[in-house]
Amino acid sequence: MPINGNADPGQLTRYAPTMPNLDTEALTLPNVKVLQVIYEIDDSVMAELLPPALHPTIPPTMHVIGLRADEGPLGAFTLASVRVGCRAAVRPRGLPTRAVCTEGAAATALEERWGFPITVGEPVLRERYDRQSIEVNDGNVAVLSAQLVDPVPIGNGDLLYTAGMHVANVERDGETKPWLVQVDPDFEVSRADRGAAQIDAFDSNFWDAPDLRPVYPIIASYTTANITLPKIRYICDPLQPAISGTVAL
Amino acid sequence: MKFGIFYEISVPRPWENDIEHEVYHRCLEQVRVADEMGFHSVWAVEHHFLEEYSHCSAPELFLTACAMQTKQIRVGHGIVVCVPQFNHPIRAAERAAVLDILSDGRLEFGTGRSATWTELGGMDANPDETKETWDEYTRTIPQMWTNERYGYEGRAFRMPTRAVLPKPYQKPHPPMWVAVSSPGTEIDAAERGMGSLGLTFGGFAEQEEKVDRYRSRIRDCEPAGLFVNERVATVNFLYCHPDNETGIKTGSRLTGSFGYLAAQLLPVREVHPTRSYPNPGLLAATRQQAAQNPGEGMSAPEGVCIGNPDRLVEEIKKWESCGVDQINFLLNALETIPQQEVLDSLRLFGEEVMPHFVDDKPATTSEPRELAASAAAGGD
Repeated sequence: MPINGNADPGQLTRYAPTMPNLDTEALTLPNVKVLQVIYEIDDSVMAELLPPALHPTIPPTMHVIGLRADEGPLGAFTLASVRVGCRAAVRPRGLPTRAVCTEGAAATALEERWGFPITVGEPVLRERYDRQSIEVNDGNVAVLSAQLVDPVPIGNGDLLYTAGMHVANVERDGETKPWLVQVDPDFEVSRADRGAAQIDAFDSNFWDAPDLRPVYPIIASYTTANITLPKIRYICDPLQPAISGTVAL
Repeated sequence: MKFGIFYEISVPRPWENDIEHEVYHRCLEQVRVADEMGFHSVWAVEHHFLEEYSHCSAPELFLTACAMQTKQIRVGHGIVVCVPQFNHPIRAAERAAVLDILSDGRLEFGTGRSATWTELGGMDANPDETKETWDEYTRTIPQMWTNERYGYEGRAFRMPTRAVLPKPYQKPHPPMWVAVSSPGTEIDAAERGMGSLGLTFGGFAEQEEKVDRYRSRIRDCEPAGLFVNERVATVNFLYCHPDNETGIKTGSRLTGSFGYLAAQLLPVREVHPTRSYPNPGLLAATRQQAAQNPGEGMSAPEGVCIGNPDRLVEEIKKWESCGVDQINFLLNALETIPQQEVLDSLRLFGEEVMPHFVDDKPATTSEPRELAASAAAGGD
């Protein structure tokens, strides 16, 4: 059977938030700019990046995602996150290792209501005619610089965004422990471009995945979309295969 | 209705103790039994890098071994990947011709273009271009087979005039098929006068619509080859057991394992947005019904050929009424079912199910204008 992750969930939770409850209501963010840069990663450590509940894809991948909302119920914010592509049983998913968000209501909401592993910082999403980029600095050091180069328009329906499995501490039956919280936003895309993927800076230690190493670019996309962050419908025990460890709320 | 067997050649981890050798030779034993039981054809995929799911990267060699060990069963490429980074078209034509000669004219030539980033990325092929290269291959390979010498200047490749040798044993050439996974690809097959080699299956209603579209469109086709191969084949699972409950339970292990495994691969659509791959592709639909709960399913989804002979006859009659000409069966995945049970299942199917179905349609059909005339006269 497929390879399972073998990471200790306790080692995946350094930035994992504690969610006060799972009664999250859906929320729509209008006209969000979304940059996604996808790379294949070093396969020798693919199992170490995921908990036993999840399988690495063949080949293993990482997704760098930059979001910028200029309006909406959470106000203006920018978010950068790094995810490891995976499967929960047969479902395509991504496991965020860390996310950096500008300070404000969005950082708090994304952390507490949807389990994003948020650190407050100053990610910058830049839009140029020949490229779009997401950049994060830690002090004066660039810990992320990822780009889409030479954008060309594609159909709004050509893109597929996969749901996230967010490690978060959740109280259930009187016990607080790490769970994988399924976050499957809906993307209503109004404009989409595609281009070459390029990562110029990536500090895997900063992104809480010391062994994560991008090795082969796949593609990048840049869209404008209304994103509806969902109600939380499922959580999964990170120690059990998702097929048996998933709990419907 | 014709019946075939279809190989992905799934090899479970750990890959030690000669497991690949064992699995390949078990498959060959199954093919010999299928030949004895009167199955029409054995098909082998071409996949690369698909860990555990398919270790069948050189199907022409496997099919040659099949041909050498059997007498009647036809050997089918299901499919040759028509992308230059995988197969140069001249080499594809040459290899197919040799296989046709060695098998005494038993080759079925399936064509396709791959649907995973795992493979296309691994071969450094551009997913945007695979439809175009596939089209060029399907037009040029029959010309290589049937012209003494042939030259070509195209988009995917070019060649000065040369004799592509040898020529196939079947004249004018082997029947040609198109892998049909995405909805609408059956139209591509029909427009080129090629057989529709289904690699996924939905329900009966969906299949009936596909067949209707295919039959309607093929009457006005411009054949890629020198004749029209009007046939609709679909893929299915097979586990036949005297006890229906046992058959469904064991068969569900097979379908579940296959689907679960396939889901771990990376479809083009998931990571590389392109209009060339609007749907997840060949690895998606076949597994959808099965993949929910590997090893634990106790009911057979609509149309899946697992259970006792009576149930299988009933399901296959429904496929027949949808207009399907041939069903190709997957027999195992991850060696989930022990070899002896696979062989018993094949024999039981051959003895108690196949006699209910008449194999009365010729392997190939006629020129498109004759089809049109037949339609005008109310015939088929």
